[in-house]
Amino acid sequence: MKQKGTPVGLEPLDDLDLSGLPSRPRPFAPALRLNIRGRSVRLRGLRRPPTGLLRLLLILGPGLITSSAGNDAGGIATYSSAGARFGYELIWVMVIITVSLAVVQEMCARLGAATGRGLLDLVRERYGIGWALFAMGILLIANGGVIVTEFMGIGAAADLFGLPKLVVIPLAAFILWYLVIFGSYAWVEKIFLAMTLVFFAYPVAAILARPDWSEVARGAFIPSLRLDREYLFLLVGLLGTTISPFMLLFQQSSTVERGVARRHYGPERLDAHMGAVFSNLVAITMIIVTAATLHRAGQTQIETAADAARALEPFAGPAATTLFAIGLLGASLLAGAVLPLTTAYAVSEVFGMPKGVNLDFRRAPVFFRLFTWMILLGAGLSLVPGLPVIPWLVAVQVLNGVLLPVLLVFVLRLINDRGLMGSLRNSRIYNLLGWGTFLLITLAVVIMLGTQILGLLGILPR
Amino acid sequence: MVMLSDLLRFQVKDSHGEELRLVDLAIHELDIDYPRISSLILGSDGSGEIVLPWDRVKEIDLTNRRIHVKDLRQAKDQDEPLQTVRLRRDVLDALILDLQNRRVTRANDLWLEQDAEHLRLSAADTGAKAILRRLMRGRYRKIDRSTLFDWKYIEFLRGDPGAVDAGAGYHRRITHLPPGEIALLASTLPYLHAAELLELLPAQLAADTLEVMSLERQLQVFEELDENSALQILQHMAPDIATDILGRVDAELTRYYLNRLPRKSAELIVDLLRYPENTVGGIMANDVVTLSPTLTVHEAHLILREKLKEPDFVYFLYVVDEEAPHKLRGVLSLRQFVMADEDQTIAEIMNPYLITLSPLDSPQEAGYRLLNSQLAALPVVGSGGQLLGRVTIDAAVSQVAPSSWRAQAPRVFS
Repeated sequence: MKQKGTPVGLEPLDDLDLSGLPSRPRPFAPALRLNIRGRSVRLRGLRRPPTGLLRLLLILGPGLITSSAGNDAGGIATYSSAGARFGYELIWVMVIITVSLAVVQEMCARLGAATGRGLLDLVRERYGIGWALFAMGILLIANGGVIVTEFMGIGAAADLFGLPKLVVIPLAAFILWYLVIFGSYAWVEKIFLAMTLVFFAYPVAAILARPDWSEVARGAFIPSLRLDREYLFLLVGLLGTTISPFMLLFQQSSTVERGVARRHYGPERLDAHMGAVFSNLVAITMIIVTAATLHRAGQTQIETAADAARALEPFAGPAATTLFAIGLLGASLLAGAVLPLTTAYAVSEVFGMPKGVNLDFRRAPVFFRLFTWMILLGAGLSLVPGLPVIPWLVAVQVLNGVLLPVLLVFVLRLINDRGLMGSLRNSRIYNLLGWGTFLLITLAVVIMLGTQILGLLGILPR
Repeated sequence: MVMLSDLLRFQVKDSHGEELRLVDLAIHELDIDYPRISSLILGSDGSGEIVLPWDRVKEIDLTNRRIHVKDLRQAKDQDEPLQTVRLRRDVLDALILDLQNRRVTRANDLWLEQDAEHLRLSAADTGAKAILRRLMRGRYRKIDRSTLFDWKYIEFLRGDPGAVDAGAGYHRRITHLPPGEIALLASTLPYLHAAELLELLPAQLAADTLEVMSLERQLQVFEELDENSALQILQHMAPDIATDILGRVDAELTRYYLNRLPRKSAELIVDLLRYPENTVGGIMANDVVTLSPTLTVHEAHLILREKLKEPDFVYFLYVVDEEAPHKLRGVLSLRQFVMADEDQTIAEIMNPYLITLSPLDSPQEAGYRLLNSQLAALPVVGSGGQLLGRVTIDAAVSQVAPSSWRAQAPRVFS
């Protein structure tokens, strides 16, 4: 009688015919020939790193996520204002800052890979508890403030879709919380990367808005400078939202969490560079969208990010509004997860507590509690009606402005430390670009603080 | 007796009334329970630092907050031994392993005690009050004894895997912990610290510890080990996990190690490396204990005494033909073996009804099959009926468990 299957376990082994079973892998399985003790052996269990496009995709990670998280709700507001008020004029700033962002983010990734430690961890050990607490304190307050605006961004996107804020914000908060608490780093990273895809909404919207591309090119490559208070303020704002302290910290901590080792860092630097280029291209298209529509129509003032989207309707039709809303939602969600995580990393690093998305509540209680509280606080406060958002945002910007130059100095000094970095130390060009960025940012911060103080004293008109 | 942060504010005065600032304390030997301070590092404004050996210290005056020393003018710049550690520069604020609480923490302050001749490092303060104390710069001096942890049970790591070979001192008390606990501690350390930790363990313990780490961590740490330790550790590792590691590092490195490993271990690993990762062959282990069916229980007993030294997990004994194709004939559990009469042959007591896996099966299917059978391991058999290896329950669990569990799944049976 013909039998289906084999009676394994039903007959003694001697009576079984196993000869039908293959015992060597099929010849087409990829193999590598190695010469072991004078014998050439085909080894199919060797994992070779993928090549080509797949490799590129696998490299993408912390850099792309961090830079994209920089295009958050606040960023969208700044870029839209710049486009609405001055058209294509300010795009050159974005071109310059792209180089700076790429350099700074790459240095942080390199620090993380070379040492396996976060930035505040190194700051505490090298420069003492005082500086570490200073940076941590500012981050706690500033990130807390920014998280609130991210959830407001989610609320604004909900409004655009016609969904009730009271449902969407708590739901978004819960989803973010759940993803990070119950996901491993590899999984969370994939979800974050998927979130950055929504940023493609902006280039699409930019094309739909039919800008004058020759004007765009002129704005991008021919710097213009006006000694006008509003112009300077937006210029400084663009620098500030593009590079901010949380990005430095998150880039480094997530590179560590990803498990990039110093021996394999080489190709990973592409991630930081591509992240900077991609996120700033998105930012530039945001400026283009608002310039091509609002600025052309003579509407030069924007109050909120949602305003910007609503104002698009008459020019680009309902499709652009939806795209804008999707972009805003994705941006706010990404930043709404990244910022609480950064805060949790920062505090755990300063005090040397276990940290990381890969652990759980039991093993890293402080890390996850901080993360949970940050999300609760952000989502909760964003639901309070009539919150004084603008002064709060200004305060946050001032705090971040004070912290950023300090962190940049730490990064630049650490990355030139031979004992710490070994062969991954900064090259001369990187140092030049790094210190150049430091000067640029410091100048911007001084201008910002100056205008704030003068404004407070009533010397400059508001 | 005194906290480091407090001591650093003391004045240093010699018999001529000359004063200098205390900048740091240096320790030459860190491998004793309570290491002694070997020299004071003094600084004056402008003129660099002076290393003053401990034997030139006359007295530490706690009430007047002064350190009296012999003539400062005779103090000369001294060469410090290579592995000297400075308390403020290197230890204060650094990551330390608090073995009593099985945690990684930071030395917020250091507690020093004086015995007849020496000032010794005797505890680390890990509490929040220590931070407050340092921030208040002497205006707040409260000491919370409950956050002071005995230095004897603290392992100080430098974050440099090469330090062990260079002769740095360690307590090495951590070597008494089970490998799982060491791996757990290492999982919260930066990878360079984790590699340093592995370097200071004996090879067998290091291998067991590396085995229970997550795969990513294994690779990161393995690549930081120096070649000798890496070879030692590979030799002591279960072949399936050594294969996981060697299959992922650079092919050049794989060849390097395979050519230098002892023939037996290298062959086991090469045999496993023949199978792609997404097959049963890719998850099986091949360090099995085999017996010939013709042996009596008594003879087998004598043979096993030798064989059981090698693999970590032995629960099943596989009965295999003596001659060439080495066909699998049956299986015996250790319990059956122990219970059997001395003069019975193995063929009589073995179980010939056997569930076997094929090396090219899907590993998930095999995993479920093993879990469903509620056995601890299943043999893997080639087309000639020859025994190739076994899949253990651990490997099966890591195939079918959700990824968040995998990291914590025990590896008891491999």
